[in-house]
Amino acid sequence: MSHLLELERVTVPGRGRPRLDQVTLRLTAGERVALIGASGAGKSTLIAVANGLLNPAEGQVLWQGRPPARQGRRRRLQQSRIGTLWQDLRLVEELSVQQTLNAGRLASWGWPRALLNLLLPLETGACRELMERLDLDPALLCQPVSALSGGQRQRVALGRLLRQDPQLLLADEPLASLDPRLAADLLSLLLRQGQAPRALLLSLHRPDLLHGFDRVVGLRQGRVRFDLSVPEGGSAALAPHLEQLYAGATRP
Amino acid sequence: MNGASLQLPRPAVALWPLLPALVLLPLTLLLPALVHGGGWDLLGRFALAALRPSFEPVVLRSLLQGLAITVGTALLGWAASLLLGLTLGIASARVVWQTLAGASWPALLIRRLLAIPRAIHELLWGLLLLQVIGLQPAVAVLAIALPFGALVARVVGDQIDSLPLRNLEALRAAGASAPGALLTCLGPPLLPLLLSYSGYRFECALRSATLLGVFGLGGLGTELRLTLQSLAFAELWSGLWLLLLTMLLLEAAVSGLRHRWAMPLRFSAAAAGVGRQGRELLLAALALIPLLVAVAWGLRLHPGQLLHWQGLPPLGQPQWQAVAALPWFQLILNTLLLTALAAAVAVGCAPLLLLLAAPWRPARWVLQAFWALGRLWPPPLTALLLLFVLQPGVLTGALAIGFHNLGILGRLLLEAAAAADAGPAQALELAGSGPRLALLYGRFSGLARPYLAYGAYRADVILRESVVVGLVGATGLGSQLLEALSGFAWDQLAALVLAYVLLTLLGEALSDRLRQRLSEPR
Repeated sequence: MSHLLELERVTVPGRGRPRLDQVTLRLTAGERVALIGASGAGKSTLIAVANGLLNPAEGQVLWQGRPPARQGRRRRLQQSRIGTLWQDLRLVEELSVQQTLNAGRLASWGWPRALLNLLLPLETGACRELMERLDLDPALLCQPVSALSGGQRQRVALGRLLRQDPQLLLADEPLASLDPRLAADLLSLLLRQGQAPRALLLSLHRPDLLHGFDRVVGLRQGRVRFDLSVPEGGSAALAPHLEQLYAGATRP
Repeated sequence: MNGASLQLPRPAVALWPLLPALVLLPLTLLLPALVHGGGWDLLGRFALAALRPSFEPVVLRSLLQGLAITVGTALLGWAASLLLGLTLGIASARVVWQTLAGASWPALLIRRLLAIPRAIHELLWGLLLLQVIGLQPAVAVLAIALPFGALVARVVGDQIDSLPLRNLEALRAAGASAPGALLTCLGPPLLPLLLSYSGYRFECALRSATLLGVFGLGGLGTELRLTLQSLAFAELWSGLWLLLLTMLLLEAAVSGLRHRWAMPLRFSAAAAGVGRQGRELLLAALALIPLLVAVAWGLRLHPGQLLHWQGLPPLGQPQWQAVAALPWFQLILNTLLLTALAAAVAVGCAPLLLLLAAPWRPARWVLQAFWALGRLWPPPLTALLLLFVLQPGVLTGALAIGFHNLGILGRLLLEAAAAADAGPAQALELAGSGPRLALLYGRFSGLARPYLAYGAYRADVILRESVVVGLVGATGLGSQLLEALSGFAWDQLAALVLAYVLLTLLGEALSDRLRQRLSEPR
């Protein structure tokens, strides 16, 4: 079976100790992997390496079995298959919600459509449908992103990701700033989205939310401490591993 | 805003900076009609000479001398304008009068009066002063100091009045004396702004000093114009490269000092000792005084000479009927057209070119070099060059001024793009959007409003500046004014200067309103 993402002994140097130290990780289609660890364990760095933001100093990254192209059309095609839900969302405040959702399509749209999207409401049907799936009022489509509440922004960011329709979904602590109900909703949406042929890699620091994931990878000080499948009964069986992961670290 | 109701599609903010570039469409249609067969080979020779500047010692010596005069003039004019501007700026701040004298109307009065020297371009000041006190180095210095001083005064006054007043009220309530309280509350927040702005003014002063030289007030500008007119392109390019080098060094030095003194310290890792910045600043200011004296000495600038007014040519009877018979409507229309065209070219092309060059690093370097050339090149020289292949007129003048301002706006846009939050653009690029669309969607969205607000201010400057391309003819008030000056038709001159002042004040009011609307959040 081919892997959607492979990291081979990836090292990213940092101040003092490396931010990632010889990390090896593979994701196959249909796998939903939780990445857990304390703050500063290297979760965000790992996500950044996985989506191509950071080039590792050592080791190899493979996307669908191929190394990242340097530039140009092939790289763009590769990038379009990897979608990231950023911790700080990275939404463009000035665009309307509809333009923001459509920004997820920019990889496959040419120039003319990209310009037209800034002038006219495009693909309203698809956007409305998406808004309903995200439990958002379709009337918000013509509002600027800057007018949205925190929870709405989070969902619009997810909407942009869904419009992109990537095969590999990466999410960097998407649940950190949400209330429990919103967090549960968002998580179930992401888990549903991560079914085959797609895959999901999601970082979080709350071990109580592991239900529904297929695997859990524990990071500590830039190293992979364990890589286990999540047992049916939930996270209870993982308790000793988790304790070891957080031992001595201050919980955020 | 009435949210969900139907409304006419309105372009997203990201597209706004590009809209002025639409002016290129009619321009490309009109330009072929303006081309005359003549000077393509001349233009080719000029372009080729860029690679083969002259290194003859005689040429270099005279160019270096010219450069020294230009830089010296710029330095003196700049220092005088800062002194003038700071004093007048404090005197035109409402808070200051309110705190010291209990009434703010004198501030408003001073502000109104300052609008007049500000509305007259430094070139006009130079040419007018030339008539009154004759050709001497002080003319160029004064020509820079007066309008720049009034400009600095406006900025300083505005800045002081926009500072929050709660601290001042608190200190006053605690019994502090008025001057002490003002200095304590307004000084520290004002200083970084002032430093940063005065650095920018020095760059402007260098450009102005060069420009004044083009009109015969001495320095490198004079050399550049003479070499251009005698078609000695190799010598011309030696001068241009020299000027480019000076300008880039200056810009680097200014931005370095700005980072060192005017930026908040929290970004630097090493903790600076308390007051170190202040001491450095004070030392720099103290070192500036002997430098200025030495420069003034070197330029043979004698304050006494300013009192020797030369006899004006006999002023004839004013012929107001002839003045009234000037084609005022046409003149004003042409001036406005030139301003609008030049502003649209400058404001619209900077983001467009940046967008086109986005994917390739070398293309961006070329673009930066192109912009640097635009900044350094005095517009009248560009206009003269354009005359090799284009017919004189509004369009030629507009292209010349547009090119110059494109250089200024382009650099600003690039700096702003580099300083803005990279996150949204990065997110788009990592989703496969490509560098251009990432720039357009991710960065221009946030930059559009401040950039266009600066563009509105620039349009204002261009209106004042339109006089400098008057020498390519038929460009409206500017060319009429230069004509009146050379014939010293003082009645016409007075009327034209007045028209310019009124137009500029009107333009300023308009661009202020536009800027306010742009800075309001939706």
